[in-house]
Amino acid sequence: MADRPSPATTKPPTVTGTPAAPASFESLLEPLLDSAFGTALRFTRNRADAEDLVQEAALLAYRGFGSFEPGSSFRAWFFRILTNAYFTKYRKRKREGIQVELDDAPDIHLYLRTAELGLHDRAEDPASLLMSKVATEHVEAAIAALPDEYRVAATLYFMQDFSYQEIADVVGVPVGTIRSRIHRGRRLLQKALWTIAEERGIVSALGARGDEGD
Amino acid sequence: MHPPDRFTCEEVFSRLDDYLDRELSVAEMQLVREHLETCAACAGEYRFEAGVLDGLREKLRRIAVPGDLMARIAERIAAESK
Repeated sequence: MADRPSPATTKPPTVTGTPAAPASFESLLEPLLDSAFGTALRFTRNRADAEDLVQEAALLAYRGFGSFEPGSSFRAWFFRILTNAYFTKYRKRKREGIQVELDDAPDIHLYLRTAELGLHDRAEDPASLLMSKVATEHVEAAIAALPDEYRVAATLYFMQDFSYQEIADVVGVPVGTIRSRIHRGRRLLQKALWTIAEERGIVSALGARGDEGD
Repeated sequence: MHPPDRFTCEEVFSRLDDYLDRELSVAEMQLVREHLETCAACAGEYRFEAGVLDGLREKLRRIAVPGDLMARIAERIAAESK
């Protein structure tokens, strides 16, 4: 296993100077940066804060690299640090844009609403047709509307390929809690997305016949 | 008590989220799969939910990452080590 700095006794090595220790930390971190930034962006909802959060998490991880257990998942360890850093610094922020209410998370909301429009009778693949009309910015707005604990669980679910247990380990709550947040978060996300689709005229466009040629 | 040898629509519906995420036991995954092979209504719901999840995942992962992010992190680590 690569050399690792010990916070108590080892001066952190330079990054661009002599070889050895710094390369080992960076070689583990660098492949994660794209998904780390994406996750941080969904957490914080703006690019400047996301970049700050990733940098802060990287520094914290570097300082604590001595406590990382060789052979365990660096990815899970780093995302735990990133998530904790987010909780510490940003979680008290208020939600933005539309709001979805926790006591109203219907099952298969999009399935039922698109069925009401007759989409299932007219389109071979109604889910693909719906999603082809929804822009990335609409999905971003929908996930931003979720309450914080649901947005964090949904973000780790959608942005990473973690299992429920891995997400529970990252967030530091029981796996049953994460299962519930992911299931309910998905329902809330579907409801928020439909609200946005109605506001942006996507629903009325989908309701018009002749649009099923996906 | 014997394990069930097949699931009803209600039993499948209550497990659909976990099935989508492959979070059921091997035996339950198999029971859900067998039901979906024979029930067009449940199979339609499953295909729709899976399609929406794939679409959401694909759009949420479409992000332009700052090209110099690793360099900035390296600079901060280097600055700290001085």
